[in-house]
Amino acid sequence: MVFAGTSSGGGSSPGGRRPASTLVWVIPPAAMAFCAALAVAVVPSGARATVAWCGVAATLAVAFAAAEAMRRGRLISTLRTRLAAQEAESRQRLAAQEAEIRRLTREVLPATVARLRRGAMVHEAMKDVDYAPRLDPDFDAAHEQLLRWVLDTVRTEEDLRDAAQRAFVNIARRVQAIVHQQAQDMREMEDKHGADPDVFEDLLHLDHGNALIGRLADSIAVLGGSRPGRQWQKEVPLFNVCRGAMSRILEYERVDLHSVADVAIVGPSVEPLIHALAELLDNATRYSPPKTRVHLTAIEVQSGVAIEIEDAGVGLSEEARRRTDAVLLQAATGFDLNDLGETPRLGLAVVGRLAVRYRFQISLRPSAYGGVRAVLIVPQDIICPTPAPGGAIARAAKLPPPKPIKRATPLPSPTRTGPLAQGRPGPGFRQNGAGLPQRRRRMPMVAPAPQSFRVDSAPPAAPAPPREPAQQPVQPGIWLDAFTKGLNGEPIPAADAATDAPDPRTSPSAPDSSSTPNTPHTQNTSDKDE
Amino acid sequence: MSEPGKPWDEGGPERLYTVSRGRAPQEPRHRPVELVSLIVARAEPEPGMAPEAAAVLRMCQFPLSVAEISAYLVLPVSTVTVLLAGLLRDDRVEARAPVPAAVLPDPDLLQAVMHGLQNL
Repeated sequence: MVFAGTSSGGGSSPGGRRPASTLVWVIPPAAMAFCAALAVAVVPSGARATVAWCGVAATLAVAFAAAEAMRRGRLISTLRTRLAAQEAESRQRLAAQEAEIRRLTREVLPATVARLRRGAMVHEAMKDVDYAPRLDPDFDAAHEQLLRWVLDTVRTEEDLRDAAQRAFVNIARRVQAIVHQQAQDMREMEDKHGADPDVFEDLLHLDHGNALIGRLADSIAVLGGSRPGRQWQKEVPLFNVCRGAMSRILEYERVDLHSVADVAIVGPSVEPLIHALAELLDNATRYSPPKTRVHLTAIEVQSGVAIEIEDAGVGLSEEARRRTDAVLLQAATGFDLNDLGETPRLGLAVVGRLAVRYRFQISLRPSAYGGVRAVLIVPQDIICPTPAPGGAIARAAKLPPPKPIKRATPLPSPTRTGPLAQGRPGPGFRQNGAGLPQRRRRMPMVAPAPQSFRVDSAPPAAPAPPREPAQQPVQPGIWLDAFTKGLNGEPIPAADAATDAPDPRTSPSAPDSSSTPNTPHTQNTSDKDE
Repeated sequence: MSEPGKPWDEGGPERLYTVSRGRAPQEPRHRPVELVSLIVARAEPEPGMAPEAAAVLRMCQFPLSVAEISAYLVLPVSTVTVLLAGLLRDDRVEARAPVPAAVLPDPDLLQAVMHGLQNL
């Protein structure tokens, strides 16, 4: 057996080569048969038969053992090759699965989640996924299930976030509506109480506070992914946009509005620009000493209009600059409600959002004044020529005051002499304008009154009442007097005098007129008397 | 106060306090101009000026009262007063009282003359 084992081992080990192995298994029985034959030849003839039988049996046994060993060796070798093949196959499969999982994490998941974030539904996002049918179905199914589960979770989270943002925006919208209503009412009140400085000042104060609330509501709306408040239908001159931005910050008095390019901003982009500028201005005023000024200029550049906001504040360290850039950049990718409580500089996030959405380029750099210089570049396509160079006047754009005055240059002498009594007598004014002289002729009638009302300082109401009492007692008597005297004397010149008197000389003040008809008349009568 | 049907873009984006740069008019007796003061421009509008100031200079080449300016600009009188105060300080406009008091004849004197004449 030991011999057979070694022989088979020796037979199979040299290699799985068939001719060698077939040769090898013949060798032991042949050797055995040779030995048996030798033994038969050597032993005495009496034992020869027995030895021969034994030899035959031994040879057969050895042959059998060798054949068996050979068969097993062959079996082992096939098993071994099969094992190797199997191992290679499973290793390959493992590698494929690993690759598949890697693809899932590196490509499929980010892509589908991004698609979800952009608002696609789960099945839509899954539809485009390239499944790999090359692997076994179980694995693919599990794979798909995993993907679906992750996407569902993400979707739920996104929905939750959307709902929260919508709620934010919704509330912000309501606040904006109230603020806007307030602003309109306040403006009307300002018009109404414009003559009373105390009330007016308080109204301005309230108006300012209201504007600040409005800006906050706008910020929340922007962070919630919506657009800031108002919609402007018409283009607005850049000057007014800058001033609009100024009116929404706390310390607007510190902002110096320098030269502003004579362009206008198209309606839909007005509000975002105002808001972005307001946030930048707020940043500038907030992070600079209270005594310093903040400079605001806007110049035209190749790619649009560059609006510069420069402060003399604490400046911007390299690290702070990197952080603000990061905030601006991060705002571009998305916004997490969690950040709302954490970033004290909410403004930058808002500016970043607006910048991405409306393609403003923003850079914050150290300023020559030592502070920060923020430059916001407005793209060319939202700029248009301005209808009102230099900036429009709040509401009165449609009513520019009459301009025929240019022709009035020869007039300065009467206006400069001051006393209106001289400039008054008709001819000079009649030539000038159609509308204005009348208005001015009425002024002198008010004129005598000032002496009385200047003391009690109630300008608008005063003019009418004092005049009436002044006229009432004097005029009727005089007129009646003149009339009766005229009737008694020469009727025609007296009537002429009576009709003439009020016409050109109503312009003089009331006591004047009361005295003037009197004097000519008395002169007349005295003439007649003489 | 305002009807709800109004479009949202009524007026300009700026508020009145930026127009007057945050300054409220002073006490009435220190105010440089009255409601009826006449304003005459002494300078041409310059490019960098606020549009309201430029408009005042343009329209006041011919004397206008403060009330009229306020009506033309659709701005409250107080705001116009602040604007004019700034312009007066820079000598860009000139304000004058509506009628100089000295020109008015003394009513007592007139009365005396009248009586004298009637007594003739």
